[in-house]
Amino acid sequence: MTREITLSQAVNEAIAEEMRRDETVLLIGEDVAEAGTPFKVLSGLVEEFGTERVIDTPISEPGFMGIAVGAAMTGSRPIVDLMFGDFLYLVMDQLCNQAAKTHYMSGGKLNVPLVLRTNLGATRRSAAQHSQSLHALVAHIPGLKLAMPSSAYEAKGLLKAAVRDDNPVVIFEDKLMYQDKAPVPEEEYLIPLGEAAILREGSEVTLIGTSSMRQVCEEAAEILERDGIGADVVDPRTLVPLDEGTILGSVRKTSRAIVVDEGHQNFGVTAEIAARISEKAFYHLDAPVIRMGAMDVPVPFSPALEDLTVPTAEGVAANARAIVRGVPVHAP
Amino acid sequence: MPHEVRMPQLGMVQDSGVIVAWLKSNGDPVTAGDPIFEVETDKATMEVEAAADGYLSGVKAAEGDDVPVGHLIAMIVGSEGEVEEASTGASAPEPAAAPVVETVQRREPAPERQEALAPAERAMPEPVAAGRVLASPKARRLATERGIDLHLLRAQGIAEPIHVADLDAAIAVGGHSTLSAVVDPTAFDEILDRSRTADRTRLLASFAAGAWRATLDASSASVAIRGLDGSLEIVANPDRGGAGEQECPVLTLVDLCGSRINGYVPAGGGPTLCVARGAAGYDLSLAFVESRLALPCAAALLEDIAARIENPLLQLL
Repeated sequence: MTREITLSQAVNEAIAEEMRRDETVLLIGEDVAEAGTPFKVLSGLVEEFGTERVIDTPISEPGFMGIAVGAAMTGSRPIVDLMFGDFLYLVMDQLCNQAAKTHYMSGGKLNVPLVLRTNLGATRRSAAQHSQSLHALVAHIPGLKLAMPSSAYEAKGLLKAAVRDDNPVVIFEDKLMYQDKAPVPEEEYLIPLGEAAILREGSEVTLIGTSSMRQVCEEAAEILERDGIGADVVDPRTLVPLDEGTILGSVRKTSRAIVVDEGHQNFGVTAEIAARISEKAFYHLDAPVIRMGAMDVPVPFSPALEDLTVPTAEGVAANARAIVRGVPVHAP
Repeated sequence: MPHEVRMPQLGMVQDSGVIVAWLKSNGDPVTAGDPIFEVETDKATMEVEAAADGYLSGVKAAEGDDVPVGHLIAMIVGSEGEVEEASTGASAPEPAAAPVVETVQRREPAPERQEALAPAERAMPEPVAAGRVLASPKARRLATERGIDLHLLRAQGIAEPIHVADLDAAIAVGGHSTLSAVVDPTAFDEILDRSRTADRTRLLASFAAGAWRATLDASSASVAIRGLDGSLEIVANPDRGGAGEQECPVLTLVDLCGSRINGYVPAGGGPTLCVARGAAGYDLSLAFVESRLALPCAAALLEDIAARIENPLLQLL
């Protein structure tokens, strides 16, 4: 049986189910207990699991991240709540120097089964320090896994799989999607890390969209269909590990690809995926691979300007139309 | 007296050598012992020296050409006035009249069919316009596989960068070219006479597919069999008993042997092979569009089909 629930509810269910299944799972972060986070994702958890397992911390990201890494090394499976993805900068040492490297540096004797839940996404009028999409920083560091749920269904399945993974996994939820509903099974399910989903099939262009950019790609595919252009829409779901096979298979079929991600375009996720396509499916490409990331500027507070910085369905469709028709997007 | 410059045999099992660089140009004076070109074999790169004094003349191979051992590459003539122009490019070097270089161990003469090189190695037609044609990686790959010269497409006015769709559109722009051949029917007819089950059209389709695979280095070779009654049947890999996926046919076969008609050139579509029964044997004609299948490729293909009909054993090799 499936029902429609919000992404918020899906995350809440995933955490509650995992905490019921495994008593070593705990939740730690700012406002996770009494306030239930600013996005109200965690409401009700402290009532069921108590303050021993749902731990409110002071405003001290490096501190509670360090506590969680230590707890993970010694038998707990912490889920760390980082209120804004922008605060990633504060926990970089704990995440990248400690959590990511402990398994390797201990010769495999220690695991860090930790989940860091945080968020990304602009257009919420939160200004430059609360609107960034910084997941590429995580993808760059060996030893960390990275999940990018694109709907309530993925949010629940990926989070449950992440909790059961023995490696540090970072999950970025799009903060604009917390109230978006999607069909989610009532029965338990997991989404394995490293399996992309093909959401729509077409033969002329592959649109690869992460997180909320998957919706942008699906909407672009609708627009393109009206023009008689068929698009594959691929959601990688996790960026580390990345399901290259599905992406390359689709591009070999369509000969064209557009990669859409909300992180900054320079040196970003779109660049990495585009590079892999260009390297590994080069002789199947009939057009250059197009990257569409967020504009390389601090996210503006002005709503009119902010909206210009992220890829839109119309923009994706326009680029797709150009490459399908053989019109160079960049001068040859 | 003019002196011939031929591709030397530098290794025991060497069939050919690639000319890496010309150290003298056409018309340059040379002295016996002067290195005149560099040749690369499977083992090494070596300099080849002039065997006589004179002037380098009538250079027939360009840098990068893979020239069979013993083939004439140039002449050394006695006076500047006798120097002939270089003719590198489309024309194949003249075959050796006699073995020129003595070797300790002679390799078995290679079968005729060894001339069927992979499309990329085959001499391309003279470029219509110099310079690199802008094309997508996929269009470039398909063009190489089909032996298409992208310069021809540019010459037809197709805008760059060239995409895959342009390769298909090119057919509408260029007309068909036709190659024909007459083939001794004896061996082929003997098979048909002796076998109760052999079907001429099927056998021809199978030979055509085998020849396509051999000359164009293709992995699949489906053949469309077109009848004068308008019928169309597509046979996947007829040379492999119809095994494998039925892909877009590479060639259309029209078997005219049962009628008085001896030719058919389709208005559009891919390469078409017509087989008719004439006074001297089987008349083969291959209609093709040069921008899609280059002349050397088409010629090699028809040569190979003819060879198979004349000597059906080749099909088994």
